[in-house]
Amino acid sequence: MEMIANAWLVPFFPLLAFVLLVAFGRQLKESAAYVGILATAASFVVALLIFFERFGDGAKDYINTSFHWITFAGQKITMGFEVNQLNAMMLVIVTLVSMLVNIYSRGYMQGDERFPVFYQYLALFTFSMLGVVLSPNILQLYIFWELVGVCSFLLVGFYFYKPEAKAAAKKAFIVTRIGDVGLFIGLTLTFWWMGSFNYSDIFDKIQTGAVEEWKITLIGILVFIGAVGKSGQFPLHTWLPDAMEGPTPVSALIHAATMVAAGVYLVARMYDLYLASPIATEVIAYVGGFTAIFAASIGLTQRDIKRVLAYSTVSQLGYMMLALGAASAAGYVAGTFHLMTHAFFKALLFLAAGSVIHAVHTQDIFEMGGLWKKMRITGLVFLVGCLAIAGVPPFAGFWSKEEILVATLTSGHVDLFIIALIAASFTAFYMFRLFFLTFSGQARGGADAHESPGVMTMPMLVLAVLAVVAGFINTPWKPALGEWLTNGFTMFNAGEHGAEHAAPIWVTLLAVGVSVAGIALAWYMYGKGTIPKGEGGVFYRLSFRKYYIDELYNAVFVRPLRAFGKGMYVFDVWVVDGLVRLVAALTRGIGGVGARVQNGQIQTYGAIAFIGLVLLLAGLTIAGGYVEQWRTIFLQS
Amino acid sequence: MANYFLTILTFSPLLGVLLLAFVPKSLPGTIKALGTLATLVPLVLALMLYANFNSAAEGLQLVQQWNWINIPVGDQAIPINFEVGIDGLSMPLLVLTTVIATISALAALTVNKRWKEFYILFLIVEMGMLGVFTSANLFQFFIFFEFTIIPMFFMMGIWGYKDREKASMKFLLYNGVGSAIMLIVFVALFILMGTLNMEEIKQLLTSPMSPRNVPDMQGFIPESLRLGLFLALLAAFAIKIPIVPFHTWMLKAYQEAHPAVIMISSGVLIKIGGYALIRMNAAFFPEWMEQLSTLIAVLGVINILYGAVLALVQDELKLMLAYSSVSHMGIVLLGLAAMNAEGFQGAIFQMVSHGLIAALMFYIVALIHERTGTSNIRELGGLAKSMPIISGILLTAMMASAGLPGMSGFISEFMSFVGLFGTKPIIAAIGALGIILTAVYLLRATLGATFGPIQQKHESLSDAQAIEVVPMVVLLSLVILIGIYPAVLSEPLQTTLQNIVPRIGG
Repeated sequence: MEMIANAWLVPFFPLLAFVLLVAFGRQLKESAAYVGILATAASFVVALLIFFERFGDGAKDYINTSFHWITFAGQKITMGFEVNQLNAMMLVIVTLVSMLVNIYSRGYMQGDERFPVFYQYLALFTFSMLGVVLSPNILQLYIFWELVGVCSFLLVGFYFYKPEAKAAAKKAFIVTRIGDVGLFIGLTLTFWWMGSFNYSDIFDKIQTGAVEEWKITLIGILVFIGAVGKSGQFPLHTWLPDAMEGPTPVSALIHAATMVAAGVYLVARMYDLYLASPIATEVIAYVGGFTAIFAASIGLTQRDIKRVLAYSTVSQLGYMMLALGAASAAGYVAGTFHLMTHAFFKALLFLAAGSVIHAVHTQDIFEMGGLWKKMRITGLVFLVGCLAIAGVPPFAGFWSKEEILVATLTSGHVDLFIIALIAASFTAFYMFRLFFLTFSGQARGGADAHESPGVMTMPMLVLAVLAVVAGFINTPWKPALGEWLTNGFTMFNAGEHGAEHAAPIWVTLLAVGVSVAGIALAWYMYGKGTIPKGEGGVFYRLSFRKYYIDELYNAVFVRPLRAFGKGMYVFDVWVVDGLVRLVAALTRGIGGVGARVQNGQIQTYGAIAFIGLVLLLAGLTIAGGYVEQWRTIFLQS
Repeated sequence: MANYFLTILTFSPLLGVLLLAFVPKSLPGTIKALGTLATLVPLVLALMLYANFNSAAEGLQLVQQWNWINIPVGDQAIPINFEVGIDGLSMPLLVLTTVIATISALAALTVNKRWKEFYILFLIVEMGMLGVFTSANLFQFFIFFEFTIIPMFFMMGIWGYKDREKASMKFLLYNGVGSAIMLIVFVALFILMGTLNMEEIKQLLTSPMSPRNVPDMQGFIPESLRLGLFLALLAAFAIKIPIVPFHTWMLKAYQEAHPAVIMISSGVLIKIGGYALIRMNAAFFPEWMEQLSTLIAVLGVINILYGAVLALVQDELKLMLAYSSVSHMGIVLLGLAAMNAEGFQGAIFQMVSHGLIAALMFYIVALIHERTGTSNIRELGGLAKSMPIISGILLTAMMASAGLPGMSGFISEFMSFVGLFGTKPIIAAIGALGIILTAVYLLRATLGATFGPIQQKHESLSDAQAIEVVPMVVLLSLVILIGIYPAVLSEPLQTTLQNIVPRIGG
């Protein structure tokens, strides 16, 4: 059976699981987990089959748009699904991570009152995320895009009775919504300027040169604003660290591996459009580069294990955007390659962090320590994750990060190249600060920690293996992923597959050098303790308080808006309605009609209607002769 | 038979009135059951209408016409006909009316006195609404319009909360002014046109052959007069929609009236304003609609932002919903101001969508009020713990109201904005800020009620019962159906849209 033509099966299983869990969740109790696990496993198998089919000879991009969704002012809008190299890869990533998280949650969420609800949400999320990557047009993408946002909101607010969770859920929804309005406007303009929502039609239209560049740029930037919101890029990054209020498996799946990468996916999917607009890609590169170093510098000082990881996610997503901003085959491959490796090692780190939290019941790394001996598996996989994200060869992050550096350098952005290097050293530092504080030294908390059950360690081990080997899929001497991804990409020059510019050896050495330097510094500060930590300085405080961005937004947007609203309410009650009351009072005073009307006699009310009728009939009678005259004139003409 | 269909549909609620007349006042159970079941008759008829609607037909269908009143003038008689007919614009609103009526009848089960009067008035209002949407002439439109206002006034004043009489007076005064203006325009149009038939008036005013449009011909109607009529109609319907600053009648009514009454008002009645803007303003005076479209767009944006900003600071959920209605009706104006098929389609979608969602939201708030004795978010919180079903549906309804894809609010909002971006991108971009504000105020209100720690006295409250779940699920299903498969609504609209739009130059 041709699996590609049946790609709808991939999201179908989680949808089915969602429906089943809504219907029977209460009865199933904790068996609900198996519904979720089975469904995502089935999706994963189908996704793998599709993935392998993509390697077949002449595997063309598959598009099915047979579902007539709506007639839009005479134009039929269809929905369906598509399969190409990029989303085939995404399908595998999403289903794999989702399946592992479903398994892991069986242990992590054990005993939770709303266990089946949790699995409902997970299933709905997986369905929506798969919907995002399968969409053949940008309108359908937007629909699923918003759905994943809702699932994220629901899961962040899963512990709804906690005020922090409530605030975080609200923030996640609103901040991403701001970005979504950009995408929303981009969509409407696409309809007018490109005449269609379909990716293929949009790209064809651009290729004919019929669309002015400023229009392409404007659409590109508006779409990118949507990606900024979803992928936590500056200045809309503030929701992502707060989203850590959700259960940790959710942080792994949604706020690290899959949903937050949707923005990166969107930019990659629209790459044909971005290649036609140097300004838009420039914006992407700088926003990405700035976010990379900005978030990394905040990560340096955070005390909450999940928040450190959250800022590292923001930073790594910035790297991906930076790569895509290079506007070349190399950038495209590097960005999507990093998306893949990051999905593995970041999901790993979150699951391992969850395992730690599960054991010590705190998220403050200064209350941990000495866990290496007590949690051997968790410690080991966490170390693998740290090495991968720090870019130490031969772990996965090394390969993809190096490609990003090369792509940035060859695109001529030396400034961004330097920023990326500094951010890389930050990353290595804060990840190992985290590692040493958590696992080395003496236990600082009182909890009696022990290793998590097998249902939680197994998924971590799988991800750990991937975090080690995934990088070899695209090495400078055998760029298999790059060749495959760029195969059939019309916008790139033939044969370009992202590895034309092999990394000069000094780039590799420099990249590894800064990472090792960061790790070493972390060791001396937090492992061995020979270098003083330097807390309390201005920069420390700025970083620790996240540059006061939340406070700034509060002062500039939130509070003035509320004050304005209150003022307007006073205006509404006293001025707008006051005028009405004044007019009514005057009428009452003059005619005394109001008093009689208000005394509750039904006849009076009836009279009001009756007078209207009389007036109408009188008008008709008076007008009658006049009308007749005109009618004759009209009939004659 | 087919010809009688619309007439039968229009007057079908009277069957219930007739039967209720024979039930003694002392049997509330029977009255409630009968009153609710009576709304099923028009509902079934309307669904049959939907199923048999001919999407390809141009102009009105299922037309029926007979001579009703003759006005003697000299030796001749001017006939006023009773004439009904529907097209793709009125059909969805008819279905909406019957759905909302049935759901509201269920919500009215909590009425605690004078049940017989309540259901009789209720059914008369339903007849009035159906009559408004089936009317093919202005006279009939006016009569049926009054049949919605007067009984509504009594329903607001007799049943409801403490300050209900004031609320009902305000409702009557405002709507009375609107009716009076409307009536004057209708009389003027009759004098000028010699007919009350809407289709004929449209032809007379827009056909280049018509003497009304040829200067120097007897009967020519100058532009200034057209503008005056257009503005007068706009003012009349501005109260109904309502357009800021004519919205304050809603606030008191939302707070004080019985929930079932507000579900009718917010679900259907205010849509009559939007319907009439298309039926009359756009159809009779397309060139003024075009010229003043910027004004309408600005009014729409003001409605959206004004309503949203004020909804943002309300602690009272009912007031929040009132301002939210103001904001959402602004989207109808935006769609109309776009002056293209996309925008008009969006406006019509938004009317149907908002009708469903507003009724649903108000129903849920009523359920919460019934249980906790308050609908103020300062006194609520954490209800998701004791009422997971009600809270879950409230959250879903909130998402629908915020225009979330997969539900009807999105596609309506989207089309309206697509339309407006095609013609007035700057105004549209400002209006799009409302999308963010909508999410902010809705989240604040719904999370304020359902999330966070629960108050001790609310811990043991009961969740929705089966009879209460049914209306919510029905409304939500329709909202989701339109959201997932909007073709159910877009297909019947297309021919009618093609008829309206070329005339308005889109």
